Amino acid sequence: MIKITNLEKFYRTEEVETVALNKLNLEINTGEFVAIMGPSGCGKSTLLNILGLLDDPDGGSYLFNGTEVAHFNERKRADLRKHNIGFVFQSFNLIDELTVFENVELPLIYTGVNSADRKQRVEEVLTKMQIMHRRNHYPQQLSGGQQQRVAIARAVVNKPKLILADEPTGNLDSSNGNEVMELLTDLNEQGTTIIMVTHSEHDARYSHRIVRLLDGHTVVENIMM
Amino acid sequence: MIKNYFKIAWRNLWKGRVFNLMNITGLAVAVACCTLIFLTVYYEFSYDNFHDKLDRIYQVYNVANRPKGVEKNSAMPIPMASAFKAEYPAVKYVTRSGNMGGVVTYGNQKVDGDIHFVDPDFLKMFSFPLVQGNRNAALSELNSAVITEKAAKKIFGSKPALNQTIIINSNNEEKPFLVTGVAKDYPSNSSITFDILVRFEHFPQYKVEKNNWDSRSHIVLAEFNEGYNPQNFSKQIKSFVNKYYAGDIKNLKRDGAKPDANGDIFTLALAPFANNHFNNDIGGVEGDAISKTYPLSLVVIGCFILLIACINFINLSVARGFTRAREVGVRKTLGAGKWQLLTQFWVETIMVCFASTVVGLLLCTLLINQFKAMFKSKISLAMLLEPAHLAGIVVMFLAVTAIAGFYPALMMVRYKTVAVLKGKISGGKPGKLRNTLLVIQFTLSTLLIICTIITWQQISYLSNKPLGYNKTEVLSIPVGQNAKGSDALQLMRNELRNNSNVESVSGAYMNMGKGNDGSSMRSVLGFIYHDREVRTHLQRIDYDYIKTLDIKLLDGREFDSKFGNDSTGLVINESMARELGGKNLIGSTLPIMGGESPAHIIGIVKNFNFQSLHDDIEPLTMTMLKDFEINYIFVKVKPGNLVGAFDNIKSNWHRLYPNAEFKASWLNENTERQYLSERRLSGIFVSGAVLAIIISCIGLLAISIMMVVQRNKEIGIRKVLGANVLGIVMMLSQDFMKLVLVAAILSFPVAWWVMSHWLQSFAYRVDIHWWVFALSTALALILAFVTISFQSIKAAIANPVKSLRSE
Repeated sequence: MIKITNLEKFYRTEEVETVALNKLNLEINTGEFVAIMGPSGCGKSTLLNILGLLDDPDGGSYLFNGTEVAHFNERKRADLRKHNIGFVFQSFNLIDELTVFENVELPLIYTGVNSADRKQRVEEVLTKMQIMHRRNHYPQQLSGGQQQRVAIARAVVNKPKLILADEPTGNLDSSNGNEVMELLTDLNEQGTTIIMVTHSEHDARYSHRIVRLLDGHTVVENIMM
Repeated sequence: MIKNYFKIAWRNLWKGRVFNLMNITGLAVAVACCTLIFLTVYYEFSYDNFHDKLDRIYQVYNVANRPKGVEKNSAMPIPMASAFKAEYPAVKYVTRSGNMGGVVTYGNQKVDGDIHFVDPDFLKMFSFPLVQGNRNAALSELNSAVITEKAAKKIFGSKPALNQTIIINSNNEEKPFLVTGVAKDYPSNSSITFDILVRFEHFPQYKVEKNNWDSRSHIVLAEFNEGYNPQNFSKQIKSFVNKYYAGDIKNLKRDGAKPDANGDIFTLALAPFANNHFNNDIGGVEGDAISKTYPLSLVVIGCFILLIACINFINLSVARGFTRAREVGVRKTLGAGKWQLLTQFWVETIMVCFASTVVGLLLCTLLINQFKAMFKSKISLAMLLEPAHLAGIVVMFLAVTAIAGFYPALMMVRYKTVAVLKGKISGGKPGKLRNTLLVIQFTLSTLLIICTIITWQQISYLSNKPLGYNKTEVLSIPVGQNAKGSDALQLMRNELRNNSNVESVSGAYMNMGKGNDGSSMRSVLGFIYHDREVRTHLQRIDYDYIKTLDIKLLDGREFDSKFGNDSTGLVINESMARELGGKNLIGSTLPIMGGESPAHIIGIVKNFNFQSLHDDIEPLTMTMLKDFEINYIFVKVKPGNLVGAFDNIKSNWHRLYPNAEFKASWLNENTERQYLSERRLSGIFVSGAVLAIIISCIGLLAISIMMVVQRNKEIGIRKVLGANVLGIVMMLSQDFMKLVLVAAILSFPVAWWVMSHWLQSFAYRVDIHWWVFALSTALALILAFVTISFQSIKAAIANPVKSLRSE
C-alpha cells in the first residue's frame, strides 16, 4: 500500500538545518498494523505527517497504492486524504464548539455525503464505539478515554483504508489506553491498515511490526509473532 | 451545509462574545455615523435635482481681469437679460431674479413673505408646478402673483387663493397684485426659495435703471436649447460683451488690466445651475451656497471612521484566529477545502456585520435629532427607505464584509496544517499587518485631534480679536419691512432720549456681522479719481454712528446735525485714505455719485473690521446719502445691565411698532454668526475625533486583552523571577506606545497641510504652533496607555501561580 524510497525532510531556520528524515526507506502492506518508535526528535511525527499528506517531503519518493504522491498539490492531497486516510491524535483534536455527533459527522460533510446517510453512518460508528449515549455532549463534557473514542469514530466514519495514529494513548490512563488499543486492533482485523507512532512498548506490542527510527532513518524492524 | 455554517458560526461568536461585542459596538457606531453622514452628503448633493431641465440651465456671471487679480461677479444690469435672449440664439428662456422681504396684506391679515422678482420665463424653466392656474400665463400680466401652497394657507387660510387681490409692501412701496397661480410647495433641497413670485418690473430701482448697463443689482439665469455645449461661450459672446460692456473694458484697460489666455479683459461666463448649491465663487446665487469643503470633509471623516472600525474588525479577527488555528488544522486534516473554510469564516463575518448594521441603524434613529441640530442637517429617516439608499446600505454592508472579513479568513485558511496541530501558531506574533493597521488608526485619530485643536484656536481667535468697534454693548435692531428706516430711527431716538441705560443711537444701511434677520449685503462702488478707478465699499450711516460704535476717529469729525451740508460729506477709513493717496484728504472732494454732485471728506476713522475676518479691511466710504435706506438701528447701552437694557429697548420698540417683530441682537452675536460654518466644521472635527479615538481605543483594548491572554505564562514567569507590577505594565505597553508615537508623527505633515490650507481662507488667522502637535501626541499616547493599562495592570497584579498552573 505504501512504499517510500529515500525520503528526506529538512527543517531550516536562519542558522541551522535539521535533518528530520534521512533517506528513509519503508514499505507497508495493506492490512498491516505498524508501530513506529524512537526517541523524541527522531522524526516519527514528521514521517506520520508525510504519510498522512499533511506535509510534503523535500526529497525521495512516496507511492500510495502505486501512485506517486510526493509532489501532489494541496487540492489533490486534500482529496486523497479525505477519501483514504483517517487521523487519531494524542490530544484528540476534537472541535470544542461541536457536539460528539457533529464532530464525527464533519468528514462526511467534507466528502459530500447527504444528510440522511450521514446520520445513519455516524450513529452506526458511535454505537460501535459505545459512545452513542453521549452523542449530544460537547468534547469538554467527556473523559479522556471517551474523547479518544470519539476521535477514533471520526477517523473511521469515512471508512478509510489507512488510519494514522499519533500516540493515541499518550493522554490516557492505562485502562482507557488499553481500550483504545483494542479498538484499533479490531479495526485492523476488519482490514484497515494502521500506522501508529508511540513511545509505549506496551502499545507497540499490539502491532504486527515495529519500525524503530533514530536520527531520521530506520535502525531496526521487529516483526511481532 | 449552509445551516451547518450558521450553526457553527453562532457558537463561535457566542464563545468569543466579549470580543464580538466590542467588534459590533465599534462597527455599529461607525455604521450609524456613516449613515447619518452619507445621508447628509447625499442631501447636499441632491440640491435642485428636481428640476427637469437642470442640465440646460446656467447662471450668467462676468469675469473681470483686474490688475489685482480675477474678479467674478454675478450681479447683472437690468437690460442685460432681454438683450442676451435676443442676441444669443442658443438661449431658449431667460429670467432675472431678485429677492426681497415684504409684508402681504389681505383684508385684515398681515403676513411677512419672501418675494421673488422674476420674468415670465421663470415658470417655464424651473419645475415649480402650479396646482392652480396656468403655468404659461401665470406671470403674463404685470400685476400677476404666484404664491406657494404654504403661503396661500398662511394668507388665505382655507379660502381659495386664486383671483384674490393682495397688497404687497416691499421696499416701502405698496402695490396690489392678483393671485394668478398657486405653486406646489417646493422641496427643502431647493436653492430657489420664495413665498410669492412677482414680475421683475416691480424690483426696486427698476424704473430708474431699466436702461442702465452700469448699475448691477440682480442675477440672470438662462435655459439653453437642447444639446447646447457651453464650451465656446466666451468666444461666441465676445461681440455681445464688446457692444454692451465697452465702458467696463475701457476702464479696466486704463487701470492696467491684463487680458487672460483668451485675450479677454472682461467677459461673460456660465455657471451650471446644477452646481448652484456649491457655487460660492461668483458672488450672488440663488439660496445659500455652501463650500464643497463641508460635505467633502464629512465624507472623509465618515470614511475614516468606517476604516478605523474595519481595522478593529480585522485586527480582532486575526488575533482570534490564532486561538482557532487548531480547529482549522483539524478541519483541514478531515478534508475541508479552502473555499469551505473561507465560507465558514465569512459567514461569521457576515453575522457580525449584520448585527452591527442593525444596531447601527437603530443608533441612527436614536441620534438623528441631535445630529440634525448639530450639523444643521435636513435629513430624515424616511430617506433611508429610498431604493438608492437601501442599495447604498447593502453596498456598505458588503464592502465592510469584504474588507474586514476576507483577509482574516484567508489568513486562517493559509495556516500550515502540521504547524497548527502542533500548536506552533497559537502564540500570536504581533504581525506587521496588525501594527500597520494600528498605526493607520492612530494616525487618523491624531490627525483629527490636531484639526480639532487648530479649528478651535482659530474660532476662539475670531471671537476674541478686537474688531475696532464696540461689539459687546451695542445692540443692532433690523427695521424690517413694517416701517421706513429713517422714520423708525427718528422715532427710536426720541423714544430712547430719556432712557438712562442708553448712551447713543444711530442707524445704517448695512449691519455689522450677520443679524437675526439673516440678511447680509454689501455695496461696492467704483469711481474715477485722478484718472484711475477707485473701488470702495459704501455704507450709508446716520448721525452719531462713529460715537455709537466706538470707532476711533483719526482726523476730522463725524457727521453732525449742527453742520448744514453734511448730506454731501464723507467719512472714510484708513484703507480708503491709503487708496486715495494719503495726506491732507480732509476737504477733498470725491465724485462718488457721478460728477454732478461731488462729496467732500469730513473725517477719517481708524480701520475696523466691517466684514468678517475672512477678508482684509478694504476701503470703506460712509455717507449720509438718502439713496440708501436705513435698515438697522444701533443702540449703545451702558455696561453692566445688558439684559435689563435689552428688555427696556424691546418694550420701547413694541410701543412704537406693536405688530413688528423685535429681532435685535448684540453685535458680538452678529459677528459670531458669521462663523457658523466654521463652528459647524469644528463640530464635525470634534465629533469625528471623539468617535475615531473611541473606536480606536475599543480596538486597542481588545488587542491588549488578547495579548495578555497570550503572554499570560510569560507574565507569570517574569513575576516569579522578581518583576514588579510597573515593570510588567511598561513591558506590555511599550510596543503599543511606540506604534502610537509613530502614528502621531505620520499625522503631522498631513495635519499641517490640511490646516494651513484651511487657514488660508482667513485674512486674519492663528499660526500653527509646534505645541499643538505635541499636545495631540501626548493626548493620543495617554489615551492609548490608559486603554492598555486596564488589562496590563490586571495581568501584572494577578497571582503568577495561577497562570503557571493553568499551563
